[in-house]
Amino acid sequence: MPHIDDRRFNRLAATAVGAGFLLLFLAFVGGIVALIEASRSSERVDHTYEVVDQLAEIDIWVERAETASRGYLLSPDRTRSATFRETVAEIAPAIERLALLTADNPVQRRNIARLGPQVTDEMAIMSAIMAKAESGQIGPAQADFVREVKERRVNAIRVTTKAMRDEEMRLLDDRTASERRSSEASRIVLGLTGILLVLIGIGATWLVRRYTRDLARARDRLHLLNTDLEGAVAERTTDLTNANDEIQRFAYIVSHDLRSPLVNIMGFTSELERADKVVAQFVERLETSETVVPEEVRLAVREDLPEAIDFIRSSTQKMDRLIHAILSLSRQGRRVLTPEHLPMERIVGDIALSLEIMAAERNARFLIEAPLPDLHHDRLTIEQIFTNLMENAVKYLAPDRPGVISIRGSASGDRARFEIEDNGRGIAPEDHSRVFDLFRRSGQQDQQGEGIGLANVRSLAYRLGGTVTLRSVLSEGSTFVVELPVKSTAEGKSE
Amino acid sequence: MNAQRPVSIVMIEDDEGHARLIEKNIRRAGISNHLTHFLDGTSALEYLFNSPDGPAHNGPAMVLLDLNLPDMSGTDILTKIKSDPRLHRTPVVVLTTTDDKVEIARCYDLGCNVYITKPVNYESFSDAIRQLGLFLSVIQVPDQDS
Repeated sequence: MPHIDDRRFNRLAATAVGAGFLLLFLAFVGGIVALIEASRSSERVDHTYEVVDQLAEIDIWVERAETASRGYLLSPDRTRSATFRETVAEIAPAIERLALLTADNPVQRRNIARLGPQVTDEMAIMSAIMAKAESGQIGPAQADFVREVKERRVNAIRVTTKAMRDEEMRLLDDRTASERRSSEASRIVLGLTGILLVLIGIGATWLVRRYTRDLARARDRLHLLNTDLEGAVAERTTDLTNANDEIQRFAYIVSHDLRSPLVNIMGFTSELERADKVVAQFVERLETSETVVPEEVRLAVREDLPEAIDFIRSSTQKMDRLIHAILSLSRQGRRVLTPEHLPMERIVGDIALSLEIMAAERNARFLIEAPLPDLHHDRLTIEQIFTNLMENAVKYLAPDRPGVISIRGSASGDRARFEIEDNGRGIAPEDHSRVFDLFRRSGQQDQQGEGIGLANVRSLAYRLGGTVTLRSVLSEGSTFVVELPVKSTAEGKSE
Repeated sequence: MNAQRPVSIVMIEDDEGHARLIEKNIRRAGISNHLTHFLDGTSALEYLFNSPDGPAHNGPAMVLLDLNLPDMSGTDILTKIKSDPRLHRTPVVVLTTTDDKVEIARCYDLGCNVYITKPVNYESFSDAIRQLGLFLSVIQVPDQDS
């Protein structure tokens, strides 16, 4: 299955959702339009029927006026003439109402224009007949009435109102037909929208499911990678521990096996010296017995041999010291650390006390800037680190000024930081990292030492999970910074 | 214990130079006891346990033992000597380059009688060997029969 990349998916999803919402919106708008349309169409129907009612009313009024006058002519009666006048009074407002109702339609306006005079004329004639009849001239009024009926003016009015009614009904039919068409169209649109919505819903669901599946697979892969990473880290740690152990064993074996030939070299050098003494005594005896001893024999026995032996001895001793140093370093690496609570002010104070005589001899003093943060570590290791650094500070003082060695400390979170600052001879910048190397020293070589102290300090600090760094300006002083976790993390870690 | 017999010295040392120096110093200290030298653990064990003129069968002995041997560890030899009913009273002097406290303690635990570090400083080494000679001249090594 092809993998959908994020961008493509996002584009597709956005399009689908957008289209879906657009369609929903259109359907909503369509619904509102249909609603408005429906209410408007019912209004139009009402209007039509109102017009039709009005027309019917006018018809009735006209009919009634005619009937009232006809009745009066047959049997003159006051109530009939009153009815006639009431009816005539009603007709003009009725026509005005009709004109108002149909003002928007030009066809009806024309019809009204025709109807108005027709009705008015008819009413005027009828009123004249009634006036004649009321004045007692019943006979001529009846003759006028008959003539009037023959004129069929009322019929003409009926034709006009019918035309108007027909026109209204035709309009209604037209509107209804167009409404039906538009409602059919909107039904089709709604149906299509529904289908589209379903399609988009299916599509979006499919995309989301597909994407979710991809996501889940990616997450699984990530989880696997994480697990692998943990495994890899564990493996590396084991490798590293093994390598470290291997180095420790190597250092131990090498230093052991190197000492063995040294014992021989020293031993046989002493044997050589002893033999040389014997020969020298013999040469002396020869000299006293006045035998001529060749100059080169005398030189060889008295100078060359002792000199050679001295050099062999001093070199061997130096080598022994170096081997011893490696051996003790490797032993430290094998030592089991037993962390305990360490009150640092007391520990540093004790170290300062133990170095007091040495410091006094060299005109130096310690300045412990309390408070120092307490630690939870292997006591011996911490003591070694601080003793080494403080002893170095005393050893490498500047000869032209009294030495001041300050020790200060601070803790932030789970890390503690100690500074051992001196105003001694300092270390040249190019030697800053070299001084931490085994057997490497810096500056004037006027002090005893093999170049092990700082290498030892650094490896001890590493072992406790810390670091040792150096700030120094040549001939101004040095500051060694020891950073350690406050609490030991390697509880009972060995070998 | 009345029949005092000379103690023979069995030296197990793979370094011939060391062996020579040890022997020289022993002789120089005036000790003339018979000395047998072995360069490896296997032949030394063979001699100690099975040889007809070895200490298991014939007379008291003292063992000078180096811990770093090519074919086995000196502590194995020490264990074997100290767990054998015929040899467990035989004094064993461990002579080695190791001054590792743990190893020294282990040797004493296994029954070593004296532990001497071979120092590079020859004078102290000679002293040690001389004192060993004195020690040899005063100790009463019990016969396994007694």
